[in-house]
Amino acid sequence: MNQTSNSCSNFSTRLETVSVLVHRAIDAIQQKTIKKRNLIWLELTGCSGNIISLLDGANPDFKSIACQLVNFIYDNSLMASEGEAALEKLFSMADGDYILAVEGAVSTKDNGMYNIIGRWKGQPVTAYEAVKKFGEQAGHVITVGTCASDGGISAARPNPAECVGIQNLLNRRVIKLPGCPCHPDWFMGTLAYLMLFNEPELDARQRPLMFYSTLIHDICPRRPYFNQGIFASKPGEKTCMFKLGCRGPVTRVDCPIRKWNDRVNWPIGDDSPCIGCAMFGFPDKMEPFISYDTT
Amino acid sequence: MEIAADINNNIVTDAWTEGLLFRGFEKMLEGRNPFDAVYFTQRICGICSTAHSIASTLALEDALGVVVSQQGRYLRDFIHGCEFLQNHIRHFYQYTAPDFIKLPEGNTLFETDHNDFRLPKEKNDRIVRHYFDSLEYSRNAHKMLAILGGKAPHNHGVFIGGITTQATPEKIARLRSLLMNIKQFICDSMIPDAYTVAEYYQEYFKIGRGYGNLLTFGCFDGYEKLGTLYVNPSTYSGGRTMKLNPGEITENIYSSWYMAKSETYTPFQIIPEPDMKKSDAYSWVKAPRYRGLPYEVGPLARMWLCGKYRNGISTMDRTLARVLEAKKIANIMLFLLDKLIPGVDVQKEYEVPRSAYGAGLIDTTRGALGHWIRIENQVISLYQIITPSAWNLSTRDRDNIPGPGEKAIIGTMIRNSDAPVELGRIIRSFDPCVSCATHVYSKGNLIKTMQVVP
Repeated sequence: MNQTSNSCSNFSTRLETVSVLVHRAIDAIQQKTIKKRNLIWLELTGCSGNIISLLDGANPDFKSIACQLVNFIYDNSLMASEGEAALEKLFSMADGDYILAVEGAVSTKDNGMYNIIGRWKGQPVTAYEAVKKFGEQAGHVITVGTCASDGGISAARPNPAECVGIQNLLNRRVIKLPGCPCHPDWFMGTLAYLMLFNEPELDARQRPLMFYSTLIHDICPRRPYFNQGIFASKPGEKTCMFKLGCRGPVTRVDCPIRKWNDRVNWPIGDDSPCIGCAMFGFPDKMEPFISYDTT
Repeated sequence: MEIAADINNNIVTDAWTEGLLFRGFEKMLEGRNPFDAVYFTQRICGICSTAHSIASTLALEDALGVVVSQQGRYLRDFIHGCEFLQNHIRHFYQYTAPDFIKLPEGNTLFETDHNDFRLPKEKNDRIVRHYFDSLEYSRNAHKMLAILGGKAPHNHGVFIGGITTQATPEKIARLRSLLMNIKQFICDSMIPDAYTVAEYYQEYFKIGRGYGNLLTFGCFDGYEKLGTLYVNPSTYSGGRTMKLNPGEITENIYSSWYMAKSETYTPFQIIPEPDMKKSDAYSWVKAPRYRGLPYEVGPLARMWLCGKYRNGISTMDRTLARVLEAKKIANIMLFLLDKLIPGVDVQKEYEVPRSAYGAGLIDTTRGALGHWIRIENQVISLYQIITPSAWNLSTRDRDNIPGPGEKAIIGTMIRNSDAPVELGRIIRSFDPCVSCATHVYSKGNLIKTMQVVP
């Protein structure tokens, strides 16, 4: 259960990438060959599941990120200061050098009034304004999770808050890390890579190839069942989930080898279908999540 | 979320809890495949996603007439326990502790705008150490969750019938080992740390009481063979404990940015439409009521109603009840773990009925959570969600009766109205699962805005 079912040595090397990148960046900071960067993390129209997922990061963990890799300037959930004092820290970065991470989509309804993230000098600050202001000026913008990347569940039909992904508001390229939530490794690896080497190689949907290059279906440990036409008729079975509506055949991300929560498990390993949470169009184009009658 | 408070002569004379984030999950769910609700509704909250999967599953089981096997329940409830531990550890160390202890200087994340830190250096340092140590244990609580649930946040395991997968001897052994370590941390660090904080902030046993109306939908209760391991569905008001009658639950939108043909309704009746232009409204949070009255929900309500904690109802009592509950939950999980039988497959092929309805009421980390589903033509025609934070941070109703959070703030004496730390501490004791801020007004003028984190 603790080991990857894929024995290819290429996979185990890929698993080490994140820890190698982060430790190399931390070493470079200590040797003063690169600078510690400022990090702003905005939680917008979403569930805050991506910051929680980041706290679940195991190797490296959150402490090494927050204490050694970056100056964590602003995160609404984790910072000890409150209200204007908190926003003061955010706005103090306005002309500075920082990397912006955003989780959650941006509500565009009624000029953004459906999501107010705080108050600055007595005036409400909408998520919409914050993304415009801090997005254009950031050194890099990372969209963490499916909502920030493409609208995600926050933009699910009929899209009541008129949500869009971050890219829609910005005249600059963002790096997208879709996934519901984003795996802590995808974020930490991308962040460390940015600090060491600048932007990693991205695919046509602006996702780093080091995490998003492989179709789940192509490296799924249950692929042999698919090849032989042995399909599960309900969750709980150990064979191919294809006929329950598994989205592994369309979803590009490295879940089958990286797995989740210190690599203990992943959705198909839990005998349930992949629901394509890291895919453009999630959830509307990925439903139904579980169906018994796809034959 | 924001809290607006009027302060006159250092006393809070009025207060409003304002939810400033609208998403509209109930509208999104209309027309979808009912089975999808289990994974879909988890995305309401990344901090307590498992809770929604459980309430949603219970509602579907009620609608489909599915009776869950005992093994199915043990597996699912164990997963729910993991979510409790993850939440309680994170809430205490990452969200409550920074209100009372001084975190290391030189990190922007830890800077504060007040200086009401009273612990002697040695005790403060000990809790700071545990702030960082705790990250491993809350992370491991989610790791346990993933062992049975596939991943966390947003698990795949919880589903109709129990969970998707089966226990194995290896999983059981691994869970036991992780759980024993977490329990030891709770007993040796978290509970003593909470009592240390309480010792130096004694006046918080006297502030933030609220109404003293407590409610639970029940939790780890009504097992066929084991009976109730924690608390039965019940309420407490005016010194009397009563059995809960779910038919008495209503919700109203008098002060919320919604329109509907009736401003008070029962869960199966109406999903109101958003309307931010509505005058006199001030929040996206609605106002759930039981027998027409506001009720507090959460760990203190549960610990009170099961009779294990009767020290009092206050800001500090909420925090103590939460850490004590963590130990209780860990013990229940150890008990359930012993009942697991490896290899039992609890899944069946389910069919969506043409039309049906069902309710899923369960107490979760932050309190009573309800999902109500109506199915027509095999798709969802109505989906109502009432969250614990809606109970605690509910808005005023027709009679201008404040919600429990508002009531807890009103009347509080503020030592220093330039740094009214009391307000944040009171609201955070409810563990609101929305990030929120506080505005403090004096004679109608805004004097301060404070962020109150989830």
